[in-house]
Amino acid sequence: MRIVVCAKHVVDSTEVRFDEKTEQLVLANLPTKISDYDRNALEAAVVLKERLDDCRLDVVMVGGPEAQKTLKEAVAMGADQGYLIEGGWESAQDPLRTARVLTRAIEEMGVPDLLLFGLYSEDGYNGLTGAAVAELLELPYLAPVVSLEADEDSVEAELLLPGLLWTARASLPCVLGIDSTMNVPRLPTVLQVMKVKGDRIRTFTLSDLGLSASGLEELPGVRLESYAGGGVERKGIVIEGPPAQAAEELVKRLEEEGVLL
Amino acid sequence: MSGQAQKNGGAVLVAGGNPQSLCQAAAAALPLAREVEATVEGVFLRGLPGDSEDLPDQLGGLVERLFVYSDDPGAAATGQALAAALLARVEEREPALIILGDHPFSREAAARLALRLGGSCASMCERIHVDEAGRLRAERPLYGGVASGSLLLANQPAVCVLAPASGQELALEGRPEVEERTLSPAGPHKVTLVASQTLQKTVDLAGARRVVSVGRGFARAEDIALAEELVQMLEAELGCSRPIAEDFKWLPQERLVGLTGTAVSPDLYLALGISGQVQHLAGIKGARVVAAINTDPRCPIVRNADYTVLGDLYKVLPALKEALAQGRNGG
Repeated sequence: MRIVVCAKHVVDSTEVRFDEKTEQLVLANLPTKISDYDRNALEAAVVLKERLDDCRLDVVMVGGPEAQKTLKEAVAMGADQGYLIEGGWESAQDPLRTARVLTRAIEEMGVPDLLLFGLYSEDGYNGLTGAAVAELLELPYLAPVVSLEADEDSVEAELLLPGLLWTARASLPCVLGIDSTMNVPRLPTVLQVMKVKGDRIRTFTLSDLGLSASGLEELPGVRLESYAGGGVERKGIVIEGPPAQAAEELVKRLEEEGVLL
Repeated sequence: MSGQAQKNGGAVLVAGGNPQSLCQAAAAALPLAREVEATVEGVFLRGLPGDSEDLPDQLGGLVERLFVYSDDPGAAATGQALAAALLARVEEREPALIILGDHPFSREAAARLALRLGGSCASMCERIHVDEAGRLRAERPLYGGVASGSLLLANQPAVCVLAPASGQELALEGRPEVEERTLSPAGPHKVTLVASQTLQKTVDLAGARRVVSVGRGFARAEDIALAEELVQMLEAELGCSRPIAEDFKWLPQERLVGLTGTAVSPDLYLALGISGQVQHLAGIKGARVVAAINTDPRCPIVRNADYTVLGDLYKVLPALKEALAQGRNGG
């Protein structure tokens, strides 16, 4: 069996902030990492690889040279090979355009039996890319997957839907969107990451994939026109003091607001 | 809407992965449709989760017409078949805008449909509107809610998936005209349904008047019982932050408040030991009053709450229960 995981190189989303003075998102010099949800997808794939005889697992990621480190970390979780699609076309960023780039890379790598995505990415929260790749490859898509069994010809997965748990079966090849509650991802050690040598990373440029940045720009998509701070103005009143006194003060305030029983 | 969504006789199509999701989409479409004098038409697929005969009653007057498609009974009704049903109606009606309510199958259907139709696609949409220049736009959170982005939906038809619903949905008297259709050709049949298990719905976070939520400030799973006592006293619903549901798995996903969980809009949101990461804050924007207990004066929840008691929740929580009990006894 062949498995491919699509993992995203992201800035640590907990470090991103909106500067009220300049009205800009502050994104420079932030730590980068594998998107949290993709770690769950990687874990699910590594568990399958451990369970099956003769299973090959590859990871594909988009990003600039700084994504090499992130990709090595993903490979160190238990993959055979990493594929880096060179970035630089981020101006065209849109989940459906990204899906077209990933699809071309996957076609170059050979369409695997199972193609795994995290359900969302921790920066975009679109939840569209996996389904879009499934559409472009004309494959079924199962999500949000919370458990998984696969054999040579089919996959059976439990899908956690609002109020329902569905068990669904699909023929292979199949694309899966992995729910973050499915597993606890392993953390590769520094030594394991260091052991991932350069020959286990292969790089695609857009032209290797028969694509161009300008061509991607012309595809249908969305364009971010503007943005503003996302917060809601709150009073920000801080209550200090011994617990009993502070608790009484809080109850008094909440009674004044009329939000208690 | 100049070339964007044609006035008079145009349609906004709405759909969803289950009846609630369809109703959410219809309620979101209605004001926009009125503005551009378009009609709202619903599309549903037999066999989707929660499918029942009373779907038209659930929708009431939110849609004028409802098209219910049937696929081959052997195939599972997932996002792929929903996309096929939508595609069938889009080809007849040529809408400028398709809105889907929050649901995993909605996201799948939206991605597939937009690629088929060459349309713009956006998810997690909190607002969809027509700007001064007559162009369709969607507002959605960026980086989990750090900022709110305005996306231009330049290619038609635009396909939008809504962010999780918060609070009560709009309801309207009436009943749509229903048309039953058969999907032809049948869907791709690559997925079959093996079993379906109803999960006991014990949680109503979206509709709760008061929500008490727990975060990483709780050292052990057992300690959540301390918060549960407060939940009872306040007749509240218990919620949690992402680490509690997704990393530690101390509480089920249905209790998760935030961008990927439930958006809440209670009178009172009480955050216990929650630092207030943006994707959590995105889920509590609709709360009237936010109160918090936290040890760290610099954590984001302090700026994003109306009242924060600075202190150890293991000490403040018992004191809070006492203060509430006293208040109730007229003390």
